[in-house]
Amino acid sequence: MKRTWTTYALALGLVAALAAGATAQDLTVDEIVKKTNHVSYYQGQDGKARVQMTINDGKGGTRDREFIILRRNRDDKDEEQAFYVFFLQPLDVRQMVFMVHKHIGKDDDRWLYQREVDVVKRIAASDKRTSFVGSHFFYEDVSGRALDEDTHELVEAETDDTFYVLKNTPKNPDTVEFDYFKMWIHRESFIPVKVSYYKGGEEYRRAEALEVKEIQGFKTVTRSRMTDLRTGGATELAYSKVEYDTGLPDEIFTERYLKNPPREHLR
Amino acid sequence: MDSGTDAATTSSRLVRLGTDYPRSTTALMMGVTIILAVLAALPSIWPGAFPMLDGVKVDTDPENMLGKNEPVRVFHNEMKRRFGLNDMVVVGVVNETHPNGVFNVESLRHVYDLATYAATLRGEAIGESDPNAGVIEVDVLAPSTVDNIEQGAPGEVRFEWLMPRPPATEDEALAVRDKARRIPFLDGTLVSENGKAVALYLPITAKDLSYKVYAKLRAEIAKLDGDDRYFITGLPVANDTFGVEMFVQMAVSAPLAMLVIFLLLLWFFRKLVLILSPMIIALVSVIVTMALLVITGNTIHIMSSMIPIFIMPIAVLDSVHILSEFFERYQETKNRRATIQSVMGTLFTPMLYTSLTSAAGFASLALTPIPPVQVFGIFVAAGIMLAWVLTVAFIPAYVMLMSERSLANFGAKTGGESDAEAQGVTARFLTGVGRLTYRGAAAILVLTVLAGGLAAYGISRIQINDNPTKWFRKSHPIRVADRVLNEHFGGTYMAYLALAAPPSDDAAAGSVQEFAAALTARIREALNNPAVAEQVAGEAARLAGESENAEAFLKALSGYVSEEELFADDAAVPAWQAVIGVLTDAMHQGEPFKRPEVLAYMRQLQTELLTTGVVGKSNSLADVVMTVHREMKDGLDSDFRIPASAGGVAECLVQYQSSHRPNDLWHLVTQDYKSSSIWVQLKSGDNNDMSAVVDETASFMAANPPPAGLTAEWFGLTYINVIWQEKMVSGMLQAFLGSFLVVLLMMILLFRSGLWGLLSMIPLTVTIGLIYGVIGFVGKDYDMPVAVLSSLTLGLAVDFAIHFLARARLLRAQYPTWADSVADVFGEPALAIFRNIVIIAVGFLPLLAAPLVPYNTVGILLAAILLVSGAGTLLILPALIRYLEPLLFPKTKVCSVTCQCGTCVLSAVTAVALVLVNVHQFLAVGWTKLTWVSLVAIPILALWCGFMSRRRKCRVEQ
Repeated sequence: MKRTWTTYALALGLVAALAAGATAQDLTVDEIVKKTNHVSYYQGQDGKARVQMTINDGKGGTRDREFIILRRNRDDKDEEQAFYVFFLQPLDVRQMVFMVHKHIGKDDDRWLYQREVDVVKRIAASDKRTSFVGSHFFYEDVSGRALDEDTHELVEAETDDTFYVLKNTPKNPDTVEFDYFKMWIHRESFIPVKVSYYKGGEEYRRAEALEVKEIQGFKTVTRSRMTDLRTGGATELAYSKVEYDTGLPDEIFTERYLKNPPREHLR
Repeated sequence: MDSGTDAATTSSRLVRLGTDYPRSTTALMMGVTIILAVLAALPSIWPGAFPMLDGVKVDTDPENMLGKNEPVRVFHNEMKRRFGLNDMVVVGVVNETHPNGVFNVESLRHVYDLATYAATLRGEAIGESDPNAGVIEVDVLAPSTVDNIEQGAPGEVRFEWLMPRPPATEDEALAVRDKARRIPFLDGTLVSENGKAVALYLPITAKDLSYKVYAKLRAEIAKLDGDDRYFITGLPVANDTFGVEMFVQMAVSAPLAMLVIFLLLLWFFRKLVLILSPMIIALVSVIVTMALLVITGNTIHIMSSMIPIFIMPIAVLDSVHILSEFFERYQETKNRRATIQSVMGTLFTPMLYTSLTSAAGFASLALTPIPPVQVFGIFVAAGIMLAWVLTVAFIPAYVMLMSERSLANFGAKTGGESDAEAQGVTARFLTGVGRLTYRGAAAILVLTVLAGGLAAYGISRIQINDNPTKWFRKSHPIRVADRVLNEHFGGTYMAYLALAAPPSDDAAAGSVQEFAAALTARIREALNNPAVAEQVAGEAARLAGESENAEAFLKALSGYVSEEELFADDAAVPAWQAVIGVLTDAMHQGEPFKRPEVLAYMRQLQTELLTTGVVGKSNSLADVVMTVHREMKDGLDSDFRIPASAGGVAECLVQYQSSHRPNDLWHLVTQDYKSSSIWVQLKSGDNNDMSAVVDETASFMAANPPPAGLTAEWFGLTYINVIWQEKMVSGMLQAFLGSFLVVLLMMILLFRSGLWGLLSMIPLTVTIGLIYGVIGFVGKDYDMPVAVLSSLTLGLAVDFAIHFLARARLLRAQYPTWADSVADVFGEPALAIFRNIVIIAVGFLPLLAAPLVPYNTVGILLAAILLVSGAGTLLILPALIRYLEPLLFPKTKVCSVTCQCGTCVLSAVTAVALVLVNVHQFLAVGWTKLTWVSLVAIPILALWCGFMSRRRKCRVEQ
């Protein structure tokens, strides 16, 4: 009986949400895209999170990785941005660091530090759609895909009172493996709840937001999943210790800090 | 002979059935045939409509030569699952006109298009209802689907698709080649070592889809223009294509063989209506046997597809004997009933025994440990016995159904001029042979012994080998592709060496508590910060109590230490990092395939494999780690090495996985890093080449003990073939031994004499010796069809001996000496044997036209078997009889008693040996134990036999 009660409550909540959503009808596609981009990657001046990554190979095998992501916006246009990813576990790749200076209009700068091999190496940015440390997420999923790389259109037929559905088609199809991708963007929070990638008319890859929390006033995805529908493999990310506006100095996002991690900012 | 009377009564009853009720007998036979054929055909034509019936199921997978639960196969499947490996179709693209081979703009565009197309071949595209059945897109290896790793700007590493799009310029095309050649994993696998050719590797979800994929690719390739040549190969394609062509063979060769047999019969007997009868018997035997095979739910396999070809000659044999006799005798009485009854009276016993022995020869295959061979043996045996029943019941019926008028000019005495001439030549020839065997007996026997010696030498040189690709003729596209691709690439035959560490000493042995205690001790030793050491020790003790196993404990403690290090005071950081060092080491103890010394050993082993000359290339985890390490460093050849620490290996592997194909790693190592697989590419699929690689690996590992207690075990299709072949060779040998003994025992029974029994075994022994001796001399591999033919030899060769000896014995009784009998023996009996030799030998020559080598082999060997065993029967037996006459036809009581004792001892030995061969095969009892048993059993049996034969009832006037 309790279950029924919960269902009613959820249904009521949904109706309320629908009513609220109906008012924000007149957004342009451009505005939706920008808001979504902001919510996904640019909330706060900077951000910090502990990420627990579980890679499931679709055949019953799982592997765990744990890392810390530091992020800092480098302008107020939701464009220039820096990321610092520090690996904690497994212990044998501890202190491996991946750093990105994200640019709009030109290639990102990317670095990798491997402690045991003892190298700091720049990574050519020719292709960002490769696996992020063996998971089902791509580097581009972690740092964000530039808005001007795709043309965006609203899929009127599928857009409803809860979600905007956007179809995004790459301007330069040679550089990506998909034909297009669709996003189901929650009208209220602008969180992309589901992103599906299509090739040859077939969905083959899907990202989902599994859990959203409000942290320091920001709606934040704290659990997400990327599934490769061809292999059944999937990777889940669980975010904890999420903090915004912690005052990360810009200088830690430099080559100097790859070998000497900014310990106080990682805690 | 009292058996003679028994057999005679049975014979007359069966024959009466035919002669008295010819219509009912014929109708019964036709009815049963039609019903069975319909039962088999219905569910095949409308699958699903008759759920209770089994339709035709085709199985072309040589893997099924082993039972589903065979350990090698279970391991093979387990490893395939564990490493996510699939069987592959290999497409090679070669260009011999362009100076840069396929590395030009146009060719690479075709390669790109073909790879893109190939990746779509699954589900509906190949007519499969399962959308995932077919090519596994994510695992396709092609220039456009693999990653390149190389140096970019100074201090920069670049990861990208090797060929993200077709090259626009010739320079770009050459760059694809040069990049790939720098990556050991791709060089010799994707790009040929001479830099002229490209190969695509298409893993498929199931082997039996490969022909569909093959056909689709061929159609697509036909649309491409340019000078490129495309070759498709791989064991799955060979297997599946064989299956498809096998049916063509069944539909073409077998009927063609029937046609030739028909024409020969026509030439011998000149009576169309009459010779239809053996054709009907052959056809009915084949249809009923195959229908039974299908109805009982058995699959049509490479082996069982040969059933018709084996049944047909044997089914015709008996009829030819009958017709031959009938032909000779009919004009004496001009009475169908009387003639056929007297013919059947003479031939019943020899025919029964020839059928029983042939059937026994094939039934003995049921003893081999190979399921398809068992099915083959049992059904051929059933088919032979069926043919016998049909011959005995239907031929008389058929003769009765013919009008007397149509037989008016049938038979030897009234044949036309040319008939007499033709028959006369043969008859005169045989008479000459008869005289020769008497006068030249000594020479014949000396020659036989000499031939035997040579045969023995030839047999000692026999090469046991097989290769399913070589089941196609040299000119077949699959063979051509095989040759060209193995010239260019590392090899198209895949085998895998699974390396595994035994359960790690730390994790398996002892309890979590012990593991924790040992680890704590190591931490205390490594640290000069007692406070941190004690803190870790305390936490370790607590976690040890909570953890299920050592691995879980290590993980939990790692998590704790990870946090503590992150939040430690600057002063304590070195201590915490030292703890991390100890924990990492402990972790790597359980992950041997991250350890540099293990990877180094793998490299060593791979280098050793290359020395065999058969392995063109091998790919392993070590190659991957070294390649990534080189590019993470400065891209120099000196950086192409395994990192010094396991941590370095782990970092390289994370980087390797940061590619477009993160899952590739798991084809080489399991996620727990406890087992790894080396992908070995062989240039030849010959079993003895694979065996050589297996032996080389074993001896290398014995001489160089591997680190971490690694064990190695092979899997992969090429290896599976070796295993079933080994089983087949030893299985066939035992089956042959078993059937030889059965036949010998039957012969002793038939002739009531050990000596006669032995005598009848001589032609087949000589035949088998000579055939296999010649195979050894010629260098023809002892392969699957050759092995199976030993059973056929046994059946056919003993046939002739039985007919010859049975008739010789009867005829000898009419004359005072053997010398006087020779002429008669070389009359009709020799003529029948001669006719059979010609009919079967020539009748199976159409098999030589088949594009499938096993069918050619069967054709040639059948002809050879017939020729040799026929010659052996007609030459050696009379020569021996001449010298053994006093023993074979004893005149004195003494002689007879001696014979009887010999017979008893021989039967006892044969019977015991027969039992032992079977016991050994099935119960795996050692030979030593069995020898003791036999030492007791033989004298007892011999005495019992002697006692039984001395009973009054058995006293027979000689």
